[in-house]
Amino acid sequence: MTRAAKQKQQPELIHWRLHVVLGVVCLLFVSLITRAAYIQVVEPERLRHESDMRTLRTTSTEVQRGLITDRNGEMLAVSVPVRAVWADPKVIHDNKSVDDRRRWQALADVLQVQEDKLLDRVTANPKRRFVYLKRQVTPIVADYIKKLRLKGVYLKAESRRYYPAGETIAQLVGITNIDDVGIEGIEQAYNSWLTGTPSKQKVRKSRDGHVVERLGVIQEGEKPNDLVLSIDQRIQALAYRELKKATEYNQATSGSIVVLDVHTGEVLAMVNTPSYNPNSRDELQSFRMRNRAVTDTYEPGSTIKPFVVAAALEAGVVKLDEIIPTSPGWMRIGGRQVRDARNFGDMSLARILQKSSNMGVSKLSLRMPIEQLIGTYNSMGLGNYTGIDLVGESAGIIREQHRWSDFERATLSFGYGLTATPLQLAKMYATLGSGGISYPASILKLRKAPKGERVLDEKIAHELIKMLVGVTEKGGTALLAHIDGYPVAGKTGTSRKAVAGGYGDDYVALFAGIAPANNPRLAISVVINDPKSDHYYGGDVAAPVFAKVMSASLQMLNVEPISPQEQSRLAAYTRGVR
Amino acid sequence: MAKGQLSLPKIVLQDLWNHKWVLLLMLFVLLNAVAVVYYSYASRKLISEWDRLLQQRDQLDVEWRNLLLEEQSQTEHSRIIRIATKQLHMKRPLPNEEVVVKLP
Repeated sequence: MTRAAKQKQQPELIHWRLHVVLGVVCLLFVSLITRAAYIQVVEPERLRHESDMRTLRTTSTEVQRGLITDRNGEMLAVSVPVRAVWADPKVIHDNKSVDDRRRWQALADVLQVQEDKLLDRVTANPKRRFVYLKRQVTPIVADYIKKLRLKGVYLKAESRRYYPAGETIAQLVGITNIDDVGIEGIEQAYNSWLTGTPSKQKVRKSRDGHVVERLGVIQEGEKPNDLVLSIDQRIQALAYRELKKATEYNQATSGSIVVLDVHTGEVLAMVNTPSYNPNSRDELQSFRMRNRAVTDTYEPGSTIKPFVVAAALEAGVVKLDEIIPTSPGWMRIGGRQVRDARNFGDMSLARILQKSSNMGVSKLSLRMPIEQLIGTYNSMGLGNYTGIDLVGESAGIIREQHRWSDFERATLSFGYGLTATPLQLAKMYATLGSGGISYPASILKLRKAPKGERVLDEKIAHELIKMLVGVTEKGGTALLAHIDGYPVAGKTGTSRKAVAGGYGDDYVALFAGIAPANNPRLAISVVINDPKSDHYYGGDVAAPVFAKVMSASLQMLNVEPISPQEQSRLAAYTRGVR
Repeated sequence: MAKGQLSLPKIVLQDLWNHKWVLLLMLFVLLNAVAVVYYSYASRKLISEWDRLLQQRDQLDVEWRNLLLEEQSQTEHSRIIRIATKQLHMKRPLPNEEVVVKLP
């Protein structure tokens, strides 16, 4: 071939090769685009689903039960998050995780159970899917268990309730069961108010477990509410201490004290003995858990007498300065006898109360129609609920009958044949202290005083208070209830306990009163049930407790002691009654 | 190179200049894309920080509750009364021992 020929020779295009290559390249692109379009447009759901499976999580917030505090913000019930340890026997069986004995040994140690027992529980039935290993373990223990990484052992959030005030207020606050549901006292009555529900949220989590996107709320939770009680824990603790001492000293079966604010009807303290420790639930006894101050009723005995005088004054059957003859100190009514401790002779109304004369009040009662007396009792709160929001409250009993014998009318005037709770008793005296205005009893702290209802003439209430001051002064039945600096207007009571077919030899010692008499602030009732020591009179057993609780409470509330001038004015009145 | 011939770079530049608006838009699109990436990254970081703070809040709440319990058990009234009377030999003044100070 010549050089020229060589030059002339053009590289020839081999067309079919070009087409094949082009075709393959195009095909590649087309298939890529189709695939991309398929993924993006035609069926994006599957991949999205796969992604969501790996990143979408539902988180729920932990909600603790609301706090219960006293009126000054002191904690009475606090929930703390803890964990429940549970196991899935099926997972344990499938993974043979029992073989790793060292870890199980560690788990048993930290849960303080025996290893074989623990293993028995998780291997007993491999078909089960849930078994609690231990409930309410502390977060530190829970952390340790998490680090053990046992397959089939899990943690669940729950909370434990602590009661810092312990036995001083156990019956009133009540307790929750292990599932955080209130089963006693305030915890039960306000269960739904205290309980919150967790809110659930959908979130996207990154590979290392951080939330990177919030996708909205699935279920709106409900915030738990706190509860502020009207209780003043200082008074409550003090009252409990005094009551416990008195119960033990007198070998009594039980006792209750209720402290009411005269001007609002708020309960400042409500204590009962015997009590229990709500923080250790191993040995709960139901008789210790009853809030006796509202559930148990007693015959109020002589503590009811001021209200007989009130009824008589309201009915106008006796004048303020009238002298009632009670000589010879006993009388027969329908074949039964009403008698005084001794012959007191002619008595003024104040002296009848001071000496607690059965004769005097019986005569007053017989002067007025029975409806008048029962009407006054009712309007003072006997036989009615006090308005407090507690489970198991008793309203007491006033019999309703058409025919009353004279003897029954007499006994009704010294507190037999009807029953009242310690709370009702305190409320009656509080009504007296507020000048005849009855406020519904409240266990919750009130923002302002509720609208009361006038049930007794103001003048009569004031006169009664002045008369009752004599009870704790020289010559009265309750010298032990006397407080220097705070004049007390109160009344003792000692009632025999009814047994089948009559009255037995067991007594209830009572004292109820208000102080300071010149400007009432607190009403307190003390009930000591079945004192077995030599003394069983209200004036010996209940009155000293009243004095201690009342004087310390008034001091805590910064109530000013009575001035010497007022003291002498009151004393002049008391002397005048004799 | 012959004089009548055009230089390629010049043509390219010329052409680019003619489509300057399109180019500008393309630049915006690119910047936009980068911004989207950046800000979604930043928002995720913030959300994760938020989440961390929420967790911290829960932890503090738990700690608060435990401290509260401790405080309550330390300041329990009967305990204070016991310490005051037994260890410090204090007593409650009687009402007639009290001095009332009235604020004007």
